[in-house]
Amino acid sequence: MALQSVKKISLLLGHCVPSVKSQASKIRIKRLELDTNLLMYFRKDDYIYAYDPNKICKTGDIVLVELLAEKLTPLITHKVKEVVYRLGDITDPLTGKKVVVDKFRHQIDAIDDVFGPSPSKFNYDKAPERGWLEDKKDFTHVETYIKYHETGEEQPYAV
Amino acid sequence: MFAGYSYVWLMLLISFTIECGLFIMNTMKKALQFSSRHPMLTFKNVIVRSYAFKSNLKIKWVRPEKIPCFKPEKSGDLDPMPEFDKSRYQLEYANCKELENADPLVKRLFSLEFASRSKITQAYKKDLVDSVKNHTFDENSIEARIARWTGTIRALQEVMENHPRNRRLKVQLKEIIDKRKKYLKFLRTWDYKKFEWLIDNLNIIYKPPPPQFHWITRKDSLRKLTQKYCDDKVNEKLSAYRLQLEAEQPAFLEEKIRTLEFLRQEQKDCGVEITIKQEEIDEAKKSLDELRKKNEKGKSSS
Repeated sequence: MALQSVKKISLLLGHCVPSVKSQASKIRIKRLELDTNLLMYFRKDDYIYAYDPNKICKTGDIVLVELLAEKLTPLITHKVKEVVYRLGDITDPLTGKKVVVDKFRHQIDAIDDVFGPSPSKFNYDKAPERGWLEDKKDFTHVETYIKYHETGEEQPYAV
Repeated sequence: MFAGYSYVWLMLLISFTIECGLFIMNTMKKALQFSSRHPMLTFKNVIVRSYAFKSNLKIKWVRPEKIPCFKPEKSGDLDPMPEFDKSRYQLEYANCKELENADPLVKRLFSLEFASRSKITQAYKKDLVDSVKNHTFDENSIEARIARWTGTIRALQEVMENHPRNRRLKVQLKEIIDKRKKYLKFLRTWDYKKFEWLIDNLNIIYKPPPPQFHWITRKDSLRKLTQKYCDDKVNEKLSAYRLQLEAEQPAFLEEKIRTLEFLRQEQKDCGVEITIKQEEIDEAKKSLDELRKKNEKGKSSS
């Protein structure tokens, strides 16, 4: 019942979670549900699949999803409208500058310059787009599992 | 008299056997009703016991070998601690001016050749930190700390290989591995690009933790394997059906073109309003051509 009511809302803000779908992203919608016996609100998570052919959202992104006029498949009911907060690559909406946790990147650079430059320092301008190490060294885009069977082949997603 | 008694006994026996028979029939009927309510219990109209179910599928389960938590396979380190250049000076004498004009024997004495292992590890850690540091004196930024922990982990992993029963060391190593993993997780949310650059530079694999932690059991593993087997079967059948339908496509399109052309001609001849457009026929011809080209390509590649 709860999922039904969520699926009727046209615009939803959600959290992208790992999934194996190639054309869609799995989005977690967090809501608070009233327990009528205790008269208290409890967290309730609903999961929806949003159409995302170019895979613009990565695991952990905060995204805005829109209800499709017609269901693409029985599972895919929404589409990704916009990535609001890119995980680990946040732009301050007021100044338009990049932020790392609670500091601007240019402030951190200024402090580093006072100490003396280092040739090994990470350069943001030369860095490729997020996700270039997917399936190589970074496995956050999939759900890992505990290895339960020895097949003789390599199981990259097994922990 | 005797005969009368025996007759009564016989009648009682018969009625008893009939009752027993009825009782058994009833119970069987009930069991069948029960099994029809629970379809898992019947298999080809044979009642199957519900407990200690044994599958007919011949799936062989191989229990994966346990990998200790401190091993590089678990910690995600792709590189071991390298062979170190022992002609280098120890870290505290690296910039010593007196050593520049010193005797070769003295130089050798201050090199890593005669130093303890901890000095080598120290130099290795310094190298790793230098490869990622933010500024000249950077030792406390998150990337520098992760690099230092990586050096420690790799050095201790080598020691663990030689002393596998050292439990204090094992605990120490596990704690550092977990700490590094925790901070890698944080770094990813703080600064994704830096996280990727760091794990690439230090050659570490980062895998997120699984949704639940549980121990591996035979029953659960067999369940998963059976599910996988069934899914594979379904996919196999679906792909076979798809191939069959695709093989029928060219013949269908030819038939479609022929029919449409015939109908269009008929409509023209009879002088009725022409509902079938030429574009429809052209489109069907085009898709037929594309299909043939695709099939030829598939044949030549295979």
